[in-house]
Amino acid sequence: MSSESKDASTEEAPTNAEHKRSPADFLKAVLGRPVNVRLNTGTDYKGVLACLDGYMNIAMEQTEEYVDGQLKSKYGDCFIRGNNVLYISSQKR
Amino acid sequence: MEEPLDLIKLSLSERVYIKCRNSRELRGTLHAYDQHLNMVLSQVEETITTIEEDEETGEEIVSKKTRNVGMLFVRGDIVVLVSPPLRTS
Amino acid sequence: MIVDQYLNIKLTNVSVVNKDKYPQLTSLKNCFIRGSVVRYVQINPNDVDTELLQDATRKEYSPVAGGEK
Repeated sequence: MSSESKDASTEEAPTNAEHKRSPADFLKAVLGRPVNVRLNTGTDYKGVLACLDGYMNIAMEQTEEYVDGQLKSKYGDCFIRGNNVLYISSQKR
Repeated sequence: MEEPLDLIKLSLSERVYIKCRNSRELRGTLHAYDQHLNMVLSQVEETITTIEEDEETGEEIVSKKTRNVGMLFVRGDIVVLVSPPLRTS
Repeated sequence: MIVDQYLNIKLTNVSVVNKDKYPQLTSLKNCFIRGSVVRYVQINPNDVDTELLQDATRKEYSPVAGGEK
């Protein structure tokens, strides 16, 4: 778990040429891009980040749900309630 | 779409799928919600998934129970995910 | 039934649906339920005007009307 969190924080935000490191800048940079959202339960959601708000509520598109690394289901659009979010990491597709 | 809640707004009067805590899932027609994700749904089908371990074999037995509720208020704090049902395309 | 801002619920004239399962509740007449422990409230569909609810919800979240957030 700790190594994965580290990945999230050290991974380059693709469009961020100035290497700003603030969390808000990271989130701005990954808007509209493929991300992996991990919940407190360990479930992963991979998809395109459509938008998010101050509660870390998230809207995603083309979302795939992974439980224990296994694809469980797909959602065209989905809303994730922010309190369940452990981290958001950018992802290559 | 400006904020995530807009996605929920677009689902008003539509069927939605809601993933809740404690392995509960709901499918129903969305009539109201607020910023906490408290919601009112009608024609709700609730699915409860339980995993039990067979004492002898140690096998995991997954069982699903469903029940139907005509009209349901759902408290927002149990909500994990909300999605319009999969469009069959 | 009375509900407050925290969605705490006060019930009067209670009848217990499953008396066999909850024998300790047989003599329950009135009660207060803390909102935070509620998962669902089942409602009689006939008591709900769904059109009214949807309109109210749309108004609440329409940027033009700028209702309270």
